[in-house]
Amino acid sequence: MSRRFLIPLGLAAAVFAVSVQAQTPPEAASQPAGPTIASKIEEQGQMRYLRVTDLRAVKRDNLLRIQAEITNTSNGNQQLYYRFKWLDRDGFSVWDDEPWKPLLVYGAQKQFINVVAPTFKATDFRLVLQSPDNSGNN
Amino acid sequence: MQAQNSHALRLTLIAGALAFSLSACQTTSPTTGSGNVSYGDAKAVETVTTDLGSTDIQMISEKMTQSLIQEPLIQDLIRKRQLLMASPVKNKTSEYFDTRLITDTILAQLQKNGVRYTIEGEDMQNQVDELRRQNQSGLYDKSKSVKMGKMQGAKYRLDGAVSSIIKKTADQKDVYYKINLRLIEIETGVVEWTDEKEIRKTARR
Repeated sequence: MSRRFLIPLGLAAAVFAVSVQAQTPPEAASQPAGPTIASKIEEQGQMRYLRVTDLRAVKRDNLLRIQAEITNTSNGNQQLYYRFKWLDRDGFSVWDDEPWKPLLVYGAQKQFINVVAPTFKATDFRLVLQSPDNSGNN
Repeated sequence: MQAQNSHALRLTLIAGALAFSLSACQTTSPTTGSGNVSYGDAKAVETVTTDLGSTDIQMISEKMTQSLIQEPLIQDLIRKRQLLMASPVKNKTSEYFDTRLITDTILAQLQKNGVRYTIEGEDMQNQVDELRRQNQSGLYDKSKSVKMGKMQGAKYRLDGAVSSIIKKTADQKDVYYKINLRLIEIETGVVEWTDEKEIRKTARR
């Protein structure tokens, strides 16, 4: 499958939608601000050890592709549960509730979550995160 | 006049007391039953046992749908309105579960994106029965019944297998599941797409 995507991947950035970074580079200060990571994340409680350190979204072949980088700031393994909400440009949900998915993030490691929208209708998303060590669980 | 007013007031008070006494018997919760049964979240991460469960089925279906939908061949199939079908996924594990849970979900999710698919196997008997009923029973108006010999064959077929490796010690059980799904061009037998999903579940005893 990957060979079929070589060309679209090359053209990739041309198509697209949102790219969000954890910190705005100083030179970008004068440019119009893009969406922040926080605006795309819904944390259930405050995560103590896990952070979304990078979040990218691009639309290729009419499908929204997301890559989120999760960083574990503790030395122990951390369990994460996540799911996406797929929205259209008006903020309406365009897909059924996704199942919660478990992800094990090893101590002091970074892990990517790579997904493709399940429908061509999705133009926006929310990443919902929950960790057993969230402060909200206490 | 005064007597009439006091009579109306008395009736209002009685009606009010009656309504209050009736409402006192009810709760505002729209439920019935003893309370020992409750509804949970169908999308929750299920970790009851290491057996293949709802979360596994959901994750497998989701991963395969996402992988299929970005495949150019499937996008072409949608544009050309070609047909897909799903053969029963083989269960090579030692557990019993209905593998149609996987293929039915994948097909439903693909259809929401415009993929058309044909029926197979288990559904075929009902289809044939209905065709025969309309054409051979003599009960139906010929001008208003469907014709035989018009069914369409699929161009591509989904097939696959679920396998598992189980390791046990006195205090631990580890199960590794591997799900392989393939998209095969029926006419040529060429496998046009393959993807896999791995799941590891561990339980301490």
